[in-house]
Amino acid sequence: MLKKLQLKKHALTGISFMLPLVVAAGLLIAIGNLLGGNPSLITDYKASYTIWQAAVTLGVFGMQLLPGVIGAAIAYSIADRPGIAPGLLMGMIANAMGAGFLGGMLGGYLAGYFVAFLKKRLKVPKWAQGLMPMMIIPLISSIVIGLIMFFVIGKPIASASRALETLLVNMRGGSKVVFGLIMGAMAAFDFGGPVNKVASLFADGLLVNGIYGPEAIKVCASMIPPFGVALSWLIKRSRYNKSESDNIKIAFPMGICMITEGVIPLAAVDPLRVIFSCSTGAAVGGALIMLQNVGSPVPSGGMFIVPAMVNPLGFLISLGVGSVITALLLVALKKDARPDDVVLEEEEEEDIDLSNVKIN
Amino acid sequence: MKIVGVAACTSGIAHTYIAKEKLLSAAKELGHEIQVETQGTIGTEDALTEKNIKEADIVIIAADIKISGKERFHGKKIVEVPTHVVIKSPKALINKIQADLGL
Repeated sequence: MLKKLQLKKHALTGISFMLPLVVAAGLLIAIGNLLGGNPSLITDYKASYTIWQAAVTLGVFGMQLLPGVIGAAIAYSIADRPGIAPGLLMGMIANAMGAGFLGGMLGGYLAGYFVAFLKKRLKVPKWAQGLMPMMIIPLISSIVIGLIMFFVIGKPIASASRALETLLVNMRGGSKVVFGLIMGAMAAFDFGGPVNKVASLFADGLLVNGIYGPEAIKVCASMIPPFGVALSWLIKRSRYNKSESDNIKIAFPMGICMITEGVIPLAAVDPLRVIFSCSTGAAVGGALIMLQNVGSPVPSGGMFIVPAMVNPLGFLISLGVGSVITALLLVALKKDARPDDVVLEEEEEEDIDLSNVKIN
Repeated sequence: MKIVGVAACTSGIAHTYIAKEKLLSAAKELGHEIQVETQGTIGTEDALTEKNIKEADIVIIAADIKISGKERFHGKKIVEVPTHVVIKSPKALINKIQADLGL
């Protein structure tokens, strides 16, 4: 049953639609604040305003659109095009009620499944079939799910989001470190895979609500694996064979852009040591981010967005320390590459269970 | 076999293209014909032609997200997997498909 619902696929589709918007909006806010000295938002369009006010205002528009966009994309993923209109509306409700990102996601799921149900079950006479996608489905789904959002689930989610925010904002000392450790380890654990995406989703959700710390951890933890691997290669080249060295030379520049995936070929050859070293380095980096109150208003962009962060120096320190730890662990744990590995161009395939793969 | 594929991942900048490369090299090594379309954040690239699809014995969709244009494969044999499956073991997947299809 759960598998049939494909919750994860729909969430990932939502994130994939949302990412470009959140990057654009986050950067607009960051650039406007940085260059314009935290200008106020435009409230009166008849009065004059500066270019930086315009940038920040546009960024805030983008952030307010996020619950709508993720709701629409999730509903679209579930129910195809008819999901978009109700999904957008549910996101608007979530945004207005303070249920934010989480509310937008939930609204998107509800709208999507309800539309899919209507498409399948609602039978109308032939003459009315043209009205189905144009009027009947959007109207009924918006009313039904909209009312559920307004009167049933909106408020609890809004208070849950607020509680989470208060919790995170008021975290001190030890709990901050633990939070940073967990977020950092999760974000680096599978190099952009599902565990990383969970951490990522959490950080993006908080970003929409104006909490920037977790996002900085995510950026930092995505860059520590490639940086750490590259550093370990500089320290002791004998740990890597020719093809691994080539991969490192690609992984490092990708890392500057916050793409962790370049480390995957290295982790595939030696998963335990590489994943352990990277997660440990990233966990320490995450804890340092929290302790130094580093924040990132932008969810991705790597080194290029560091100037836009809150406490950029703290970020660089966290990144540096995390990378050094990863590098030292790699040097200590990895064995020297066997020279015969050099000729072994053939990449070994991982044994995964394909028995669930069905041809339809 | 003649294979067509579609690759799409969440961020649409890395796994999509790794999956494509893995499929291409595995199929080539095993002696199959293959075309792979990518649906990254930049949009669709290397779009499959109608001819590709018509002639294909199997459609491999390697995607973590909803892909667009799935209706093009109506009536074809389709295998849907997450991108990590074709990244980790593309050859095993293709061999399994071949065995299941009896080709």
